[in-house]
Amino acid sequence: MKGSYIHWGVIQISVTNLVIIVAMIVVFALAILVPFPAGHVDDEDES
Amino acid sequence: MTTIVGRTAAGGDERPTSRNWTARFRARLGRVVPPDQLLPDRQPAYVRSWIYVFGALTLAALLTVLASGLVLTVGGATWWHTSSLGHFVNSLHLWSVELFFAFMVIHLWGKFFMAAWRGRRALTWITGVVAFLGSIGTAFTGYLSQSNFDSQWISGQAKDGLNSVGIGAWFNVLNPGQMLLWHVALLPLLLGLLVVAHVVLVRRHGVVPPIDADTPTGADNWPEPDESAEGGSR
Amino acid sequence: MTTTSASSRAPRRDRTPDSHTFPTRSYDLVKEFVLALGVVVLLTVVLAAVFSSPDEKPITLADWAANAPNDVVATAAGELAGTTTSAEYGAPYNTAGSGQLLGPLALQRWAGVRIPVDSAKDLVIAPLQALRGDPALTGALDRWNAATAGQRQSWAATYADALAAAPDGDASAVPADPAYGPVPVLAASFLRLARTGGLEGALDAKGNFYGGDTTRGLLLLTDGAYLEDQARARNLGGDQWGMMNETGNYPGQPWMWLYTFWYQVKPFSTSDNADAQVWALMMVLSVGLVLVPFIPGIRSIPRWVPIHRLIWRDYYRQHPRR
Repeated sequence: MKGSYIHWGVIQISVTNLVIIVAMIVVFALAILVPFPAGHVDDEDES
Repeated sequence: MTTIVGRTAAGGDERPTSRNWTARFRARLGRVVPPDQLLPDRQPAYVRSWIYVFGALTLAALLTVLASGLVLTVGGATWWHTSSLGHFVNSLHLWSVELFFAFMVIHLWGKFFMAAWRGRRALTWITGVVAFLGSIGTAFTGYLSQSNFDSQWISGQAKDGLNSVGIGAWFNVLNPGQMLLWHVALLPLLLGLLVVAHVVLVRRHGVVPPIDADTPTGADNWPEPDESAEGGSR
Repeated sequence: MTTTSASSRAPRRDRTPDSHTFPTRSYDLVKEFVLALGVVVLLTVVLAAVFSSPDEKPITLADWAANAPNDVVATAAGELAGTTTSAEYGAPYNTAGSGQLLGPLALQRWAGVRIPVDSAKDLVIAPLQALRGDPALTGALDRWNAATAGQRQSWAATYADALAAAPDGDASAVPADPAYGPVPVLAASFLRLARTGGLEGALDAKGNFYGGDTTRGLLLLTDGAYLEDQARARNLGGDQWGMMNETGNYPGQPWMWLYTFWYQVKPFSTSDNADAQVWALMMVLSVGLVLVPFIPGIRSIPRWVPIHRLIWRDYYRQHPRR
């Protein structure tokens, strides 16, 4: 019936919500840091 | 007699002074997005990061939300309480909504740190944020339409917030009939228009260049290169 | 490399170059979108199959009567006494309260009584009035209807106080007393009506075959303690960050974090006008988010927190600054 919650001072957050938020931050960091595959060498062109 | 093929090849009748409303409307639409930019097959070389896929992921999640929602409408408002298939479709709807918000917020973070409103793109930012806020409101009417304990509690609580500023007198969260119609008809329509405007604006202006990027050498565009001005970027 | 700076005569302007003048790379927009759609659909199906979604049954008025009968009786007495939340609410239901203030603005009251609900009459007396074949009830209703407003209020408030003082609020522990008038009979009959399962229909259909508007049933239910007790047990209360939460371990609404945050801290946590104040604050912040491109300082954060140098690192490596 009742879910799992974490209490920290005035903050109360469900474990599920915390996992979601942490996962979003991790995904954001990965999106910034993980190299994007380089395109074909002849792709760049001065158009 | 002029054939359609012949006229199309000749560019039709799009003079600004044409009295033909259709021709003028067509010309106006054609100017919204640069030619070949509605569905381009090339993009600026600086677009090279995984952060760029989150706009597409958000849009894909929105389509999934709409599709799962449409299946729920086929079964009716309370179908999911008595059908295991219906409950599964409800689960698809819930999780696609969670993914939609997650991707949208990551997209927002990325666009913020790229200052993507530069270069006359303020309206792109504005339509995006309004769509974000509108999505929260749309989801809210969805939570009210669950016809279960959640809806009872959420409506009982939300009414106090909305009544306190007078909105509750018109937008009655205790009335599931009104909330459901807002959720499946009115709000998705408004949201859809915002999303279309947002995407068209992105295609119109192109992906924002990097912060402090210089105009490519030899390019002829505003502002004019000034050899005598102070060096470096601001 | 040529620099591109506006001449010193020109005002400071956005010198973002036109994106269409940059070197390009081929890419497949439609294929990217189809891939994104495939990924999202797959993720959605997996998450739905593994985690499902919550569906806790609504609390029927019969459930309420079965699980918390003393609460039903006390609520009925409170409605008749005019002391429940809905009875003292003000707009949009009645004029009994002045509503919340936003500084000097009485937005709640100004909206007017557009959803009129007389708590005693609409939530208790009218459903009872429809019952037939119970002489004691009929007699009690006649007595109630013939009495003055002051007499009614006195009967109901006295009985409500007696219930509150009784152990467990149990009506059977309250001996009969003429000071309560017909209220004990009315409240007991109300509980019996709730137990039959017919109370929702009596409240909401309002003579129509088709219901669909559960305003009255929900006002009654939220006037009692049972619904809130059930909600708080599931961490859904307003001071439990409840706006973010879902029943059980299901994902809630993480995006509501800032809206619910203000309710947890002063001055809002102790303010009578918290709802109006938090709403206004969130409206201001929302407008601020919409207008970020125009807000000095805020719009410069991307420059000071240079995440963009990671995003565009390939470009900056190929085009170093002088």
